[in-house]
Amino acid sequence: MASGHRAQWKGFIKFGEVSCGAALYTAASTSDRITFNTINKATGNRVNRVFIDGETEDPVPKELQTKGFEIENGQYIIIDPEEVAATIPESNKTLEIEAFIPCSDVDDVYFDKPYYLTPDKMGGDAFVALRDGMRKSKVAAIARTVLFRRMRTVLIRPHGKGLIATTLNYDYEVRSSKKAFEGMPKLKIEGEMLDLAKHIIGTKKGDFDPATFDDRYEAALAELVKAKIEGRSLPKPKKVEVSKPNDLLAALRESAGLTKAAEGKPKRTAANANKGMGRQRAARGAAAKSAAPKAAPQRKAS
Amino acid sequence: MARPYWKGYLKLSLVTCPVNMSPATSESEKVRFHTLNKETGNRVVSQYIDSVTGKPVKDGNEAKGYARGENDYVILTEDDLDAVALDTVKTIDIEKFVPAESIEWVYLEKPHYLMPDDAVGNEAFAVIRDAMKADKVVGVSKLVVGRREKAVVLEPRGEGIVLWSLRFGEEVRPEEAYFEDIDEEADPDLVPLVQQLIKKKTKRWSPDMVSDPIQESLLKLIEEKKKALKPKKKTAKAKGAPASNVINIMDALRKSVADELKSRKSG
Repeated sequence: MASGHRAQWKGFIKFGEVSCGAALYTAASTSDRITFNTINKATGNRVNRVFIDGETEDPVPKELQTKGFEIENGQYIIIDPEEVAATIPESNKTLEIEAFIPCSDVDDVYFDKPYYLTPDKMGGDAFVALRDGMRKSKVAAIARTVLFRRMRTVLIRPHGKGLIATTLNYDYEVRSSKKAFEGMPKLKIEGEMLDLAKHIIGTKKGDFDPATFDDRYEAALAELVKAKIEGRSLPKPKKVEVSKPNDLLAALRESAGLTKAAEGKPKRTAANANKGMGRQRAARGAAAKSAAPKAAPQRKAS
Repeated sequence: MARPYWKGYLKLSLVTCPVNMSPATSESEKVRFHTLNKETGNRVVSQYIDSVTGKPVKDGNEAKGYARGENDYVILTEDDLDAVALDTVKTIDIEKFVPAESIEWVYLEKPHYLMPDDAVGNEAFAVIRDAMKADKVVGVSKLVVGRREKAVVLEPRGEGIVLWSLRFGEEVRPEEAYFEDIDEEADPDLVPLVQQLIKKKTKRWSPDMVSDPIQESLLKLIEEKKKALKPKKKTAKAKGAPASNVINIMDALRKSVADELKSRKSG
């Protein structure tokens, strides 16, 4: 199956007493971002990286490098790669489903990398039964196995005709949202403010297909470099004006298109980083969404 | 507490508030190994060498260079990079709202926690958050993250907002190529059986499900090695280490006294 692609892993998926041959394929890769070269400012030359002994400053060739764990400041325990390997349990090559969890219960901040999970030629029937059963019951599955030399937990869920297995980050790698937000004041917004904000959201509702999104960074950076080469000064970013608590209601009313542009002029400037656009947008109501990103005045980034 | 790694503004139409953002995940608790020199037991460190002069590059002289031509680089400072002409460097302007759950999981790249950076923005932030919650929508915007401009999704959660950077279309491999041979329909007799099994095995989500037994074994291994090391170290210390320690303390004391005298003179 999936001819032409190389499987990252081949083994079995097991639920209850049923098991079928299965394979994992990388579903998402990271595309290149702009890389810079490291330059010696003093000479303008590129630099090379060498590995040296921290004390003697002699170069250390690859074959003399080993791994160590720092126990106290500057004191290390050498750990052989073989000893590390010995901690990895033997792989049974089986993604055994330990539990199903309701889709609504999934904490997505644990998500690491997605893999397409496919059946082998013999396992198709069991695989599609699992897929459709999970879809109907609105659950995802939790399974564990040794993947890429770590014991990984994956979250499996139906996706189109197949399944996606997402590796999950370990408990100690994730900060819970509860912890992260615990210091925040508990504010609950009701009444007119909430209604106005919901109205604004209503004017901006739409669809979004991430596949069609374009990155403007490279073009903008090329423009910046050009300006620098030509000795032009770089445009200063506009100062962003923050909505003051006293002006919040007015800013919401105007955003929702409830106040005429002529009214509340002074208030609006305080709450609005970009008043020309704001006036236009308020007047145009539902058609406004396309205007939102074009706040920058002079440039064409793409 | 994690330090915020980005500060900027959250904007909905004419409402703007200062916010900060920090990643939801971190590798700081992971057992990490350093590279050591087998012969000396010292740490191996990397050093930059000028490719032409062959001399080590002084600290602080390393700069980012944009290749203009062969061996010709334009040096860019962090301030230069901040001046790149995109509002999305500093402002998350919510352009669109889409139903919650409508963004496919395969696009979710990295989660961050977004919160007000100043009390002045608490209420504006709460308005945006609560309105999304009430309407069961998530916000769509864009933001420059790691030298790319990415689509981001804002999802209200608790008192805060989870901001996901999304993968680019070209990064997600087309599923058709992988799933084309899989049957569309399952055997109708099998599905109810699977559902029964699901019912029996359904549990609530718990972070226990993502424990790392290998990390625990590694920590144990390190602990054992440490114990084995301790007595040996003590005898070694009797010769070398404490002496150097004493010298260090003496040095430190002398230096403190000298500093003290200096400041008294100048003061």
